[in-house]
Amino acid sequence: MNDKISTFLLVQNIKMHSKSLLNILLIVTVGCSTVSKPISLSYATYKVAQQAKTDTALVNMLLPYSGDVSRMMKKVIGFSTTTMYKKQPESVLGNFMADCIKEMAEVKFQTKVDVGFMNQGGIRAEINKGNIALGNVYELMPFDNLVVLQRVKGDVLEKFIQRIAADGGWPISKNSSFVIQSKKAIEIYINGKPLDMNTIYTVANTDYIANGGSNADMLKGIPMQNSGYLLRDALVDYIENLTKQGKPVDGKIENRVRIINE
Amino acid sequence: MNRRKFIQQSAMAAGAVLSASTANALPTQYAISILHTNDVHSRLDPFPMDGSRNQGLGGVAARSYLINQVRDEVEQVLLLDAGDIFQGTPYFNLYKGEPEIKAMSKMGYDAATMGNHDFDAGIDNFANQLQYANFPIVICNYDFSGTSMETKYKPYTIIQKGKQKIGILGVGIELAGLVPENLYGKTVYNDPIQAANETANLLKQQKCDLIICLSHLGDKYDDNKVSDEVLAKECYDIDLILGGHTHRFFDQPRKYKNKKGGDVLVNQVGWGGINLGRLDYIFSTDNRKNLSKAHTVIVSKKTSE
Repeated sequence: MNDKISTFLLVQNIKMHSKSLLNILLIVTVGCSTVSKPISLSYATYKVAQQAKTDTALVNMLLPYSGDVSRMMKKVIGFSTTTMYKKQPESVLGNFMADCIKEMAEVKFQTKVDVGFMNQGGIRAEINKGNIALGNVYELMPFDNLVVLQRVKGDVLEKFIQRIAADGGWPISKNSSFVIQSKKAIEIYINGKPLDMNTIYTVANTDYIANGGSNADMLKGIPMQNSGYLLRDALVDYIENLTKQGKPVDGKIENRVRIINE
Repeated sequence: MNRRKFIQQSAMAAGAVLSASTANALPTQYAISILHTNDVHSRLDPFPMDGSRNQGLGGVAARSYLINQVRDEVEQVLLLDAGDIFQGTPYFNLYKGEPEIKAMSKMGYDAATMGNHDFDAGIDNFANQLQYANFPIVICNYDFSGTSMETKYKPYTIIQKGKQKIGILGVGIELAGLVPENLYGKTVYNDPIQAANETANLLKQQKCDLIICLSHLGDKYDDNKVSDEVLAKECYDIDLILGGHTHRFFDQPRKYKNKKGGDVLVNQVGWGGINLGRLDYIFSTDNRKNLSKAHTVIVSKKTSE
């Protein structure tokens, strides 16, 4: 269409000036010949692998930074009295992370939080007995998930807990608990009281789960309070707070989530 | 494969295509290699050797080596990134993006767009880190008026590669609800479809041979949320969308029909710099055809030598 317009304008020019018709025609021809169009595409995807050769220019560029980063990762921020593994339906490591989410959300958002959750799939490493370095927290939580709050009605929270039960149990914060029977959650307690379908609860989760991730569709669309606080930073703050109080990172199985036979 | 062999193969492939569609003589052929990344997320070093799925993969030094290999092989190479350069490794926590931008400059990126995580240390930080960039940030649907980014981005850029004029625009995702407001400040998000169509039309008027949209919208969603798929179907002049945000590893570029009935390709290469995408375009100059007419692009897997 633009070509038509420019041709029209050229014709107008010809009428007005009419002295070098030949030149104008030449311009039109040359103009067209410089435009080309893509006719075929071949694709390839290269895996960028460590075994492959590296560009020393980039290695050298990184050197002053990487030294500092590895020193930073080795910085000890706390200590653990026990090796903490990831396990279903309940684990010391999971309890620690769910408590961290709830308690740090309370600090960050300056509000009371009823319950915090940690998605099982988001726990990416274990914490070994002994010193905890910053790098260990990065391994535990490599994702940039954020700690967020949602105001969730009891019946929706129940659906969320049913989803967790169907998955074999995820970590839940202190004073909240449920029992899994035939993949169904029963005897659900939130903050020490039986779950009430009509109560509005303040729930701490990662933005990933609050956005409906890991089939938590029932939470999707519920407004979120988000201050850009990374779960990883929350874990670091939580561990450093314990260290300041002279406390280790530890915990025990408290029957927050347990499975019973039919 | 050396360059001559590549050009021969490309010409043969294109020749086969053309002889099927027209009985006329072969038009002039030109080739460009487009290399692209998305959602690298501060992954400057390879993934650590910790037994995880991606261990040993990625890293700017290995990527740069691959890029240089392609540059040795092909004369016209474009290197592009679709955003989320920042956030994800301790490098970012410590340096707020300085080594990421420096590495991209050293690798010779031609353009990049912004992802939501590029706001993670605040818009002023991103603007500040661009002092290390020798490539433009293109984004046409964010209005940065009154922010520190105001003079540090372009809606599009035009790059001459050999005989081809390549127009590159960018589109970004809606920030509200995704990025805390204090981080993006006065940035105004505008409809990406409208902005992209207006910008692509400008590029068409400037006689670009190929129009590429760097997108951080995400490839597609279950609901009506705007995505690369929606943009591909709603656009008029865009030839290729290089996407990001959804961290999707495409097996091959997806093909859509635009509003003119022409082919639009969409590609995305996962995240973390694990993969480097390569798209080799063959162009033809054909005076006899109406160039504004909808055209098709034949897509095939690049045969390894």
